[in-house]
Amino acid sequence: MSGERVLLEVRNVCKTFDNTVKALDGVSITVHKNEVLSVVGENGAGKSTLMKTLVGVHQPDSGELYFMGQRIPFPKNPLEALKLGISIVYQERGVIPHLKVYQFLLLGLESKFTRLGRLQLKKIFEVSRSVFEELGIKVSMDAYMYELQLSTQKMIEIARAILSIRLAVGNGHNKDITPLIILDEPTAPLSMEERDELFKYILDLKENNSFIFVSHIIPEVLKFSDRVYVLRDGKIVAHHELSSENVTEDLLFREIVGRVSYYELYSKYQYGVAEAKEKPIVLSVRQMTKKGFFQDVSFDLHEGECIGLFGPAGCGKSEVAKALFGIIHADSEKIYVGGIEIKPKSDPYERMRRGIGYFSGDTGKELFLHWPIRKNLSIVNFEKITRRQLKIVSIINFNIEKELAEKIMKRLRIRAPSVNTECHSLSGGNKQKVSVGKWLEKSPKILILEDPTIGIDVGAREDIYEALLEMKRNGISMILVSDDPKEYVILCDKVLTMREGKIQKVYSNEEFRRVMEA
Amino acid sequence: MRGNPALWAIMGLILIFSAIVPDKFLSTSNLVAILRNFAVTSMLAVGPTFVILLGSIDLSYMGIWMFGGALVWLAYPYLGLYSIFLYPLFGLLIGLFNGVVHVKAKVPSFILTLAMTAILAFLTTYVRNISGVLTLTVPAYDFLRASPIPYIPSPFLLALPTIILSIFLMFFTKIGTYICAIGSNEEGARLAGINVERYKVLAFMISGLLVGLGSIAIFVHLGNQTRVDFDPSELIRGLAAIVLGGTPLAGGLGGPHRTLLGAMIYVLIFNGLFLLPGVDPNHLKLYIGTLLLSAVIIASKALKGALIA
Repeated sequence: MSGERVLLEVRNVCKTFDNTVKALDGVSITVHKNEVLSVVGENGAGKSTLMKTLVGVHQPDSGELYFMGQRIPFPKNPLEALKLGISIVYQERGVIPHLKVYQFLLLGLESKFTRLGRLQLKKIFEVSRSVFEELGIKVSMDAYMYELQLSTQKMIEIARAILSIRLAVGNGHNKDITPLIILDEPTAPLSMEERDELFKYILDLKENNSFIFVSHIIPEVLKFSDRVYVLRDGKIVAHHELSSENVTEDLLFREIVGRVSYYELYSKYQYGVAEAKEKPIVLSVRQMTKKGFFQDVSFDLHEGECIGLFGPAGCGKSEVAKALFGIIHADSEKIYVGGIEIKPKSDPYERMRRGIGYFSGDTGKELFLHWPIRKNLSIVNFEKITRRQLKIVSIINFNIEKELAEKIMKRLRIRAPSVNTECHSLSGGNKQKVSVGKWLEKSPKILILEDPTIGIDVGAREDIYEALLEMKRNGISMILVSDDPKEYVILCDKVLTMREGKIQKVYSNEEFRRVMEA
Repeated sequence: MRGNPALWAIMGLILIFSAIVPDKFLSTSNLVAILRNFAVTSMLAVGPTFVILLGSIDLSYMGIWMFGGALVWLAYPYLGLYSIFLYPLFGLLIGLFNGVVHVKAKVPSFILTLAMTAILAFLTTYVRNISGVLTLTVPAYDFLRASPIPYIPSPFLLALPTIILSIFLMFFTKIGTYICAIGSNEEGARLAGINVERYKVLAFMISGLLVGLGSIAIFVHLGNQTRVDFDPSELIRGLAAIVLGGTPLAGGLGGPHRTLLGAMIYVLIFNGLFLLPGVDPNHLKLYIGTLLLSAVIIASKALKGALIA
């Protein structure tokens, strides 16, 4: 490998949080000039931590950084990183919708365009126009950010990163520096057309810049990057040169997830799969479409059955789950619960009345954090804890509420001093248990699960699986969406694979295991 | 109640004033006055607390109180003593209007309800002006002014139904929980299957109803009449009681029980303050404004601390 191509090199970086969690464990990567380098891995694999050490947000415990062949200390703050030519576009830092494009482009950089406290508008216009022209962004200077497509907004964010590097490096020496732009999950909110557009743009910019692309969307990674590092549990487990190697999606996927014995997993949680077919259909979905996200999604769900929607991130599975509960609205849909159609574009409360429930592992979204556990559990169970069911006003019976909460806490092994403990003081696993616990008593006909165990430890995970399987045995049907194939093996009777918004194939649990093991 | 600062404040204020001006502060007439003022202040604040729990704001209480009284005065010749029930009815209707416009037309509640108060306050003055009277007094309700219980002023007794209703709604029905849920985490409330729009409207309706009901106590307190000229310090009074009680303007925490404590703090401060030598009652409005300002600043800091911990 010729030294001239290497832009920077990181050797043996370690980073530990809270003295226990090893986020990075001896990671070494090289970044070349003018390439798109992908870093892939599961949630919590250490991708973000690694990137944050590069831009000076985190300081590594140990490790070395070489920049254009010279050893230098790790940047101590984002400004130092900018001076080296490294900038990051965060996933959800977001744009400010009501700024005009040039205002947003120069946001935080105004001091470079100010004389005696007055903004030099003329200079700002000139610079913005030349930046947009140079980087090939076609946009009117008068447009507001919110008027633009999401992909264009992302492009402007990238342009802003490049511009801030230039201004930080200055016009003196180091003029021939290659800017390195880190893109943290840039495509997450984009539709498929928008993604393609964004990548076309990134490939155009490759001539003068380097990119690190942090993602877990495998098809994109393979299609657009030059090299790939796979991170797992804080270690680099694989490195591929995509121009010379033939890397399949399957291979990369397996490297990301690691080796698991799916049969062992399955037999550990074994349950009856067979009978589901004879049971009545509780949910029929026909031709559900949302442009740019999913098309013609149709399937039947039997009583007590769990169907998994499986596919790479960005395939539309999580949008389907959200649309089923009415969190987002599909353009067109025909959904029948127990044979009766649900009003299209109706909201979650209407769908819940028809027997659909929704649970996601994102506890920040689900829980009322400064409420006691008791109230978080009873929020969907009011008909169970009220003394008398009057039409408008029903009076709460606090004894029943407490009993109900204690029962759920015991069953899910929620560790907390009492039912009155406020939820923000619980650990992540216990929060998630509270969040799923409310559905145990509610017993909806259909429960939609989105990443039910994301980001929690093994013990808490098992408690949640057991609770879900018990609900399933009691006849509750489920739809699972997750990034973890192990979860499908444990919970699902049937797996529908999705790709680019369409359902591809139907697997039984056994077939799915076979495909995964292969 | 783990460290309720409002309770500590009340005890502290009582101790301080009993120590400095014991014979004035602890006199029977002063204690009765405290109860009266507590009734008036809490009646302005308890209702809007429900809207503040949502994270919105309802400033229409001033207008409901003022114009509701004008309606009672106007209707008395036709409805007789029953016209007093126009108060809660009118409050409910204004609440319904505020709620529907806020939710459906997405008008910020601050502007909406402030404009409502401005309109209703103007209408009240207008009614007084075209009628050619000085005050809108209905003497027939004089029997309400005499309290059946010695030392307990009748406005306080008239305030009790509103207080009890507010506590009941907050703690013993799902309405209170749902409203609090929306203010605490709107997305979470939606995911828990709560009809967010409906409960938002309901919060405004409860606010209007409680203010209308509570205004009867204020009406009697003022001598069976309503206010006919708009005074911003009265508007601040309600807000100050809510904030002093510990319901943050961001919503999700607190409730009418807190507001009752806040109203007591407010009343004690001003009652005691004017008993002190050298405090000029003419500067009342300055003190009220200053109090609200400091309460908001202290409350916001305390909230930040709680969120970090």
